[in-house]
Amino acid sequence: MTQPLLADYFPILVFLGIAGGIAIAMVGGAYLAARQKPYAEKLSTYECGFAPFEDTRHRFDVRFYLVAILFIIFDLEVAFLFPWAIALGDIGWLGFGSMMGFLFVLTVGFVYEWRKGALDWE
Amino acid sequence: MNWILALPELVLALSGLAILGIGVLPKRNTHFACAMAAVGAFLLAAALAIGAPEGSAFGGQIVSDAFTRFAKVLILIGAAAGVVLSLDYNAREGLDRFEYPVLLVFATLGMLVMVSANDLMSLYIGLELLSLSLYVVAAFNRDDERSAEAGLKYFVLGALASGLLLYGSSLTYGFTGTTNFDRIADALSDPSKASSGLVVGMVFVIVGLAFKVSAVPFHMWTPDVYEGAPTPVTAFFAAAPKVAAIGLFARVLGGPFGDLAGQWQQVIVLISLLSMVLGAFAAIGQSNIKRLMAYSSIGHVGYALVGLAAASEAGMRGLLVYMAIYLLMNLGAFAVLVAMRRQGRAVERVEDLAGLARTDLSMAVWMAIFMFSMAGIPPLAGFFGKMFVFKAAIDAGLWTLAIVGVLSSVVSAFYYLRIVKVMFFDEPAGALDPRPASVSFVMAASGVFTTLFFLYPAPLVAAAQAAVAALLG
Amino acid sequence: MAMGGITEMAVSLAHYLTVSAILLVLGVFGIFLNRKNVIVILMSVELILLAVNLNMVAFSSALGDLTGQVFTMFILTVAAAEAAIGLAIVVIYFRNRGTIEVEDISTLKG
Repeated sequence: MTQPLLADYFPILVFLGIAGGIAIAMVGGAYLAARQKPYAEKLSTYECGFAPFEDTRHRFDVRFYLVAILFIIFDLEVAFLFPWAIALGDIGWLGFGSMMGFLFVLTVGFVYEWRKGALDWE
Repeated sequence: MNWILALPELVLALSGLAILGIGVLPKRNTHFACAMAAVGAFLLAAALAIGAPEGSAFGGQIVSDAFTRFAKVLILIGAAAGVVLSLDYNAREGLDRFEYPVLLVFATLGMLVMVSANDLMSLYIGLELLSLSLYVVAAFNRDDERSAEAGLKYFVLGALASGLLLYGSSLTYGFTGTTNFDRIADALSDPSKASSGLVVGMVFVIVGLAFKVSAVPFHMWTPDVYEGAPTPVTAFFAAAPKVAAIGLFARVLGGPFGDLAGQWQQVIVLISLLSMVLGAFAAIGQSNIKRLMAYSSIGHVGYALVGLAAASEAGMRGLLVYMAIYLLMNLGAFAVLVAMRRQGRAVERVEDLAGLARTDLSMAVWMAIFMFSMAGIPPLAGFFGKMFVFKAAIDAGLWTLAIVGVLSSVVSAFYYLRIVKVMFFDEPAGALDPRPASVSFVMAASGVFTTLFFLYPAPLVAAAQAAVAALLG
Repeated sequence: MAMGGITEMAVSLAHYLTVSAILLVLGVFGIFLNRKNVIVILMSVELILLAVNLNMVAFSSALGDLTGQVFTMFILTVAAAEAAIGLAIVVIYFRNRGTIEVEDISTLKG
């Protein structure tokens, strides 16, 4: 029985298999080959940026939040940059100028958040 | 590429960026300078909009014609007045941050893009630029619980509305194969070919727009947002964005969906009817004057939509005249609201106006004129707005709509006249603080227009007529 | 039927539209029936926009027209800006009230 639709997905299955195999080999290899010497500090929960002596329901510092919000906005320019870069040969100077305009607007926003101190941690 | 057509938008975009730059670089408070620069940008853009040539630009994304000229001038007047009204209030309430005029410039830019949009894509971008700026200004008093709540409610319901509008856009795109208004209109020139999927899409678009103009049953955010937001913000909300959203409504239903009038007319009749009735009855029991004005604005949207429901040239003209008059008289009424402060604190209850005639006669007289005008009492401007739309409705055979409109005008006169009664016949509750010159200016300009409109209505009506001719092609 | 069903298994436009309609309804219900947390509302809004994007891309592919995909890019961008502003407003609301429970957002009413 041939299934044309599913046959197209066979390479993905291969990739899944290889990825799984590599992951198991890495973790398993480390487990078998490495020297293991556990102590309390090493076994305690690791939280990025926090001393782990509090409840897991710790309230995050609002500054993380700010960084995340700023990231969302500046991350998205890439969604426009990729298609632009590929089509640059076809769209000419107008296309180039449009993207420069777009980046200029982003830069003004960036200057604003810099001057406002949104990028300072303290 | 015809850049000239987008000159007002380009001016606003560049001045918004420039004001942001000059506002943030110096160490001292730049609020006043930025606000003045914003007013200058609005006036320059208005001058450019009046002289804008006609045509379409950016691959048919935007158009410039008599309709965009009409709507843009109104929007820019409303925006400039919104900045002027905020000057003194913001300084006293500690809201004098330069971001405020910047946000209003970007909101206004969004409105201009909205009314000149000739494509679902530019429509969406304009609408979102407006909405995102408005969410922020609604929550501008960030240390005030009520302002934050207003911003949150406005955001949630506004985002839902945008989502529904977009879903409608996607169905429209799918069933016509294009997002350009002219080509959508071509695809629909034979209404019998309109598939049910397309009609569903159109209804979603109408729902999204009805949210934005706060027509019943999609009005629930309006009273809360109007009450919670700082008063100059409420004044801004009630003026320019309303005109822009109604203008967009007229553009979308008159342009691309013009040939489906038989399908959308019944929807508009219903929401217009409900808005008029709710606006009239729900305002009666309100003690907070900003909340009262919110219901009043819902009612006014209902009256304006009567013109749209008529789906005729006269109806559209009535709609545009109505919105122009609404904008100009509403600015005056909100100037009074902005001026309401006692012993350095903003007050916003109807009783706070008690005995105003004895402590500040000129303000009481202007407010009375605005209230009479909103109630539709001749010979004030508000009467003519109502007359135009009701006449168009009768000519289109929509008797029910006209009769309900007149009856709800009578009911709404009750709460408008109550404010007049409180000002002139109640015992004074203590004098209000002296009002700043900027607020008095808006109040007087609006008052003079409202009072003397009947002497010379021809220019406004002629401009609206030309706009409708451009709109309906 | 089992063998003949294979060609019908190919994902058609109608399938995409159905999924997207389901997502839209889930999003709308998430906004109105949710009684717990404002963040859930933000996620519901994103779900609605996701439904729209799916619709756009499906139509774009079915029509062989790129406009829908360009539109999707704009929607994605604006959705991110919207999410950023929404989160910022939620933060200032939390600073004032110390809670973001939906039931507590009721100071303004009448």
